[in-house]
Amino acid sequence: MPFPRFIFFSSKQRSQEALNLIRRSGFSKKIQSRNYAKSSNHANGKTDIRPPMNVETPPASRSWGTYVIPAAGILGFAGIATFIRYNDERRVTLKGQGNNQCMNNVRGPIIGGPFTLVDTENHTVTERNLLGNWVLLYFGYTSSPDVGPEQIQMMAKTINILESRYNLKGLPVFVTLDPERDNPSHLRAYLKEFDSRIVGLTGPVSAIRQIAQEYRAYFKKVEEDGDDYLVESSHNMYLMNPNMEVVRCFGVEYNAEELSEAIVKELKRTST
Amino acid sequence: MATEAYAARNPAEVHTDVLSNARQACYKARDAFYACVEKESDKKQTEIASKGLLYPAECKASREEFVKHCRTSWVKHFDALYCKNKSLKRLLDDKDSRKGV
Repeated sequence: MPFPRFIFFSSKQRSQEALNLIRRSGFSKKIQSRNYAKSSNHANGKTDIRPPMNVETPPASRSWGTYVIPAAGILGFAGIATFIRYNDERRVTLKGQGNNQCMNNVRGPIIGGPFTLVDTENHTVTERNLLGNWVLLYFGYTSSPDVGPEQIQMMAKTINILESRYNLKGLPVFVTLDPERDNPSHLRAYLKEFDSRIVGLTGPVSAIRQIAQEYRAYFKKVEEDGDDYLVESSHNMYLMNPNMEVVRCFGVEYNAEELSEAIVKELKRTST
Repeated sequence: MATEAYAARNPAEVHTDVLSNARQACYKARDAFYACVEKESDKKQTEIASKGLLYPAECKASREEFVKHCRTSWVKHFDALYCKNKSLKRLLDDKDSRKGV
């Protein structure tokens, strides 16, 4: 990218020099040398039939014109190129400063937002109801063949470890990405088998879509066969502080021990 | 308002085939089927399961149990997972002996 600009600058300099030279020669009326130069150019091809007297003034103005316009054009082009480059450099994101989900420092986009869902008792739950608690939020669905139950099991175990070992109270929340099949009573029956403390949230499809978008949770129906389908999703667990801000997110590679250790570390970090 | 309408519209149906009992039965049938496939892996693979999995005729009974106890989407998911694991294992185990298989 800098290379073409260098060419522009050097050619601009050369054109400036040529322009100065021509101006000087034109105004100092050294027509003789110019004529010789002109005749040497024409020596290979046509013969020069212009008499020496007539070429005093017209070549002066014509040469000035023919050299200013390309110089101005090159100048203008270089100016535009400089402006575009300056604009690009102003907008650039330096390498290594992108937004990364599930990395230690969530300095990227603000994840989270308001939502209005229905819990297993058919009560409306918004994010305001969850304020004041450390929340472990999981997006899943009940018809998951293997990963879903494992993650919920792990979530329950983590909450147990936190309470028994570290005396910390966390609130596990399960939001279903399959609201068409997971109605509140089904959710209640399902979650009861894992832990009674898990809050199950469902709702109309639009509300689920809204919260999934706010929390950047990806989900997609696959293997669709009428009413029987799987939901492919990013099995992430979000840890939120009492202000409902997402502090960290965890992937499937965490087990209950690692998860509880990470949560404790996060709590200690914010309280100190 | 909206939540009452939502509750009225959705029947309070509980899909029992994903609850714990049915799930455990499904897992058991699945394990039995795959154990059979592993055991009879030297026999001729004549039957077709889903997702490109083949199995010998000896395992037909366990296959039917498996399909009966689990949802179709789960069956397909487990079959795909099994095939993937098998090809990965084959890739890792005899990398030196068989090239390009």
